[in-house]
Amino acid sequence: MDDSVIISNAFHHVAWGTPISIYFWLVGASAGSFVLSAFGWVFGIKRYKPLALSASILAIVMLLIVPVLLIWDLGKPLRFIYLMLPGYWHSTGPMAWGALLIMSYPVSMFIYVYFVVKNDQFWARFVGIIAIVLALSTHWYTGVVMELNPGRYINHTALAPLLFLTGAFISGIGLMIIVLWIQNFFVRPEKRIEWSLMEEMAQYMMYGIVFDIFLLYLDFMQTHYGTESEMLGHGEVLMGIFNFPYVWLETVIGLFIPLAILVSPLKRTRLGVYGASFLVAFGVYGMRIWWVMGGQYLQSFY
Amino acid sequence: MVIDLRKCIGCMSCVVACKAEYGVPLGVWRTWVKVADKGRYPHTKRVFMPRLCNHCDYPICVRNCPTQATFKNEDGFVLQRYNRCIGCRTCVVACPYNARHLLPEARKGKNLPRLVVDKCTFCIHRVKKGLVPACVQACVGGARIFGDLNDPKSQVAKLVSKEQVSVLKPELGTSPSVYYIGGDWAIMDENHSYKFRSRQLVEEFNTFKKNHFGDAFADIVEGESTMYWVGKNMADFIASIPHKAAGVFNAFKKLIFG
Repeated sequence: MDDSVIISNAFHHVAWGTPISIYFWLVGASAGSFVLSAFGWVFGIKRYKPLALSASILAIVMLLIVPVLLIWDLGKPLRFIYLMLPGYWHSTGPMAWGALLIMSYPVSMFIYVYFVVKNDQFWARFVGIIAIVLALSTHWYTGVVMELNPGRYINHTALAPLLFLTGAFISGIGLMIIVLWIQNFFVRPEKRIEWSLMEEMAQYMMYGIVFDIFLLYLDFMQTHYGTESEMLGHGEVLMGIFNFPYVWLETVIGLFIPLAILVSPLKRTRLGVYGASFLVAFGVYGMRIWWVMGGQYLQSFY
Repeated sequence: MVIDLRKCIGCMSCVVACKAEYGVPLGVWRTWVKVADKGRYPHTKRVFMPRLCNHCDYPICVRNCPTQATFKNEDGFVLQRYNRCIGCRTCVVACPYNARHLLPEARKGKNLPRLVVDKCTFCIHRVKKGLVPACVQACVGGARIFGDLNDPKSQVAKLVSKEQVSVLKPELGTSPSVYYIGGDWAIMDENHSYKFRSRQLVEEFNTFKKNHFGDAFADIVEGESTMYWVGKNMADFIASIPHKAAGVFNAFKKLIFG
């Protein structure tokens, strides 16, 4: 069997690339930031109220970059409007669901921010609940849109949305801590976010990292003990061509080093918390790269 | 369609006929022929496998398309509507057979479709006139046989019922309409295609990626830094925006001023 070799074939481009992977990362970090924003106004944890506005604005800003990536990545940018027209909308297409979510999520966030600024607890909570469902759904959809391709063996797992949501949660917190750190330089002392709150957020981030490592381990088990395609996808594509984003950027830089920092005495130092936050926020992007391009790469030789 | 691999001699007439029938641009294919060498010298054999859209009974591309640009017609042909396609490439990602491609922007004819997804149509325009698809017409060995599987008297129905046939990736449940006779696992299996690709094929593919960027900003050149290509793809994407924006601007101008 090993004596046969493929000598000629058509060449196939990978269809979704860097812009889509950045979009997945942005939507995730946006959803994660919004969850933090909702801690105070939706879940009633009062000490989180001061950061609600910053977190919402960060979530909105990141989401405003998304259309630039998505629309200009289309072959026909003007036709993005088709995704909103009832005559074109296809109910079985995951991307059609995503289009609705991506449109409604920022609208709900804007309304939520309006009520937060107006200090209207009832309506902020009411709209916040809707917005948080939309935030999670928008990111759930990014996992699902690739999961529902049975031919992409690396992506075809029910763990996909969970992996995305957990990554969103930790990268959102990481990015939020960095933003709050920068924000503290520019606001009056009484408006600054307390250090103890950031320590607490880092603690939540640590739980998220542990859960993310657990999910990654489950995914590893499935591919390692799975079909030949899954083993090949993991063993040769992810550990080979996508070794840096998969092993180094996501697993080592994005998960294990921050975890080591956050379980050590360094977690009480500013350098430790900010460093871990930075690594997590950008390490998660490694997962978006291998997830989007790795699954397609294997098949490009078929 | 039935493809009798015992009769395929790898002449590529089908590929040329398809390219000529539709003016398929450089770097993309509606049909192609995969080639593998088997055995060890002096006991070697060259095997071929023509590939095309499988016109699945349960096509993932149709299910996943967000704008109903691709559909399955009443005769079972999976077809593409250029005027509905937004070029999102969801169907390209969904297709387990690599049967879809994005038409490149650089095409000679002014009114030819660009940056929308294209695929094999089983030459529906010929079939409607009682002709066979161009690839079937051009096949010198008679390896490609086309017909109605629901008609028990058709040659394809007889072949499928009599011969040992196989389909590609049956485990995915797509129920393909392209059947192979005499299929060799060495060339039909996806994992084998990846694991046992020749060094020369990898180098050719790398050269192809460097010269045919595609319009998806997604290719990674094997053997070079992955992160470099991730960054390069993003830089190329950003560089493409003004050009696409000019296209949008011109479309608006045309709409308003005629």
